[in-house]
Amino acid sequence: MIKKIAITGFGIVAPSGIDKKAFWANIKAGRSAIKKIERYDSSLYPSHIGGQIHDLDAYSHVSSRLLQKIDPFSHMALIASELALKDAGIDLDKENLNNIGIFMGNALGGWLYGETELRDLYIEGREGVSPYMASAWFPAAPQGQVSIYYGIKGYSKTIVSDRASSLMAIGHAIKVLSKDKLDFIIAGGMEAPLSPYGLLCCNTNGDLSTDNEHPEGAYKPFDKDRDGFVAGEGAGLMILESEQRAAKRGKKVLAYITGYGTSCDGVDRIKPNPDGKELARAIRLALEDAQYKPQEIDYISLDGAATREGDIGEVAAIKEVFGPRAKEIPVSVPKTMFGNLLGASGAVDMIVTMMAMEHSLIPQTLNLKDVDPQCAGLNFVVGKPMEKEVKKALVISRGRGGINAVLAMEKA
Amino acid sequence: MDTKAKVKDVIVNLLKVKPEELKEGQTLEQCLGVDSTEMVEICIALQKEFGVQIQEKEVAKYHSLDQIAQVIEAKKI
Repeated sequence: MIKKIAITGFGIVAPSGIDKKAFWANIKAGRSAIKKIERYDSSLYPSHIGGQIHDLDAYSHVSSRLLQKIDPFSHMALIASELALKDAGIDLDKENLNNIGIFMGNALGGWLYGETELRDLYIEGREGVSPYMASAWFPAAPQGQVSIYYGIKGYSKTIVSDRASSLMAIGHAIKVLSKDKLDFIIAGGMEAPLSPYGLLCCNTNGDLSTDNEHPEGAYKPFDKDRDGFVAGEGAGLMILESEQRAAKRGKKVLAYITGYGTSCDGVDRIKPNPDGKELARAIRLALEDAQYKPQEIDYISLDGAATREGDIGEVAAIKEVFGPRAKEIPVSVPKTMFGNLLGASGAVDMIVTMMAMEHSLIPQTLNLKDVDPQCAGLNFVVGKPMEKEVKKALVISRGRGGINAVLAMEKA
Repeated sequence: MDTKAKVKDVIVNLLKVKPEELKEGQTLEQCLGVDSTEMVEICIALQKEFGVQIQEKEVAKYHSLDQIAQVIEAKKI
């Protein structure tokens, strides 16, 4: 069994920037990328703000011929995978394509493509629908497109578990890698929820902030005035391989993934259990898997649902596991700057944590001004980033109905 | 514009390829690597453009531009 899985490269496509330099500069500066959605008349939706990517085409190495057959969420995955492979210094011509895996997480599917074709179905009849509809919409489409683009043929998987999708995909990926079944895995997630129907799906859950007049200040987890999260679009993909393989090819490791824990609340269709007991169990499972003691953790990247049950349960879980030390460990929700990328959020949180480890700088939570008394007692990083060496960290990602996923990471 | 030029136009615009990529004497699969789903799209677009019905296999990826034009010409009569 291989215990430590190395991250040797990553690709980020996010509202705060495409590729690491631009992204980190915005995160470090605490700049919000949340704005009103103006691609269509979004004003009829209760929540119509989001983290959008405006310059996707400028970065594209993908042909127009292919672009018309795929949804933007696949496009984002293709760009992120290209960036990740380049960052990891991998030349696929020298790799055995049968031994490479793709593990992706996605929550909604490709609705921009889907809803356009459904509209054509009702207006023009069946001949108005693109034959690509079937292969463009479904949540595993990005996995397929990346596989086709590079000719990758190893064991691969797409996990759909709402906002916990990508963290769970990475959790599965490290289990497969630890059995030494694959050479490396492209893992992470992608989400493009800001199409009219996608936005409607998010709205009907009742989890989105309706503070439309203040887009940049709307996403305020753990604040007494919170009213939900803000959705965003993007992708975050990483190259995962064994420590030994990374050493063999002389590649500097960016960070290690050392443990994974998951559990389900099992109480409600949408809301997590505010007692946080099951999340606490997932945190303990991740710590045990990583063979970490709670006192070793230097930073926790929070889920930060910005809903009453989500926030209270998350704080309760951390207090239960870490006891008196809960008030000392720095915690933050960097995605308050660019939005909750739903199925891609966990992977992006891991990328931010990795950058925090590299720069010894913990990004802040935006908009947390007045902590809800029921969420008090944690060391929230607010106002500015915190200078601190992060050797060991946890990343928490949660989906609707209390799907809990926790990953343990370690500085290289 | 003759039928062959129109067919070429339809395919080039639909697939967003350069006109010179659609080579004379080669099948659509050989010169453009057309897959079966793209062929469905091409058939629908040709039916709309020429107002003819095209049955499965009458226009396929193993046909060249000339062969496709001939099939449509025959249907127009």
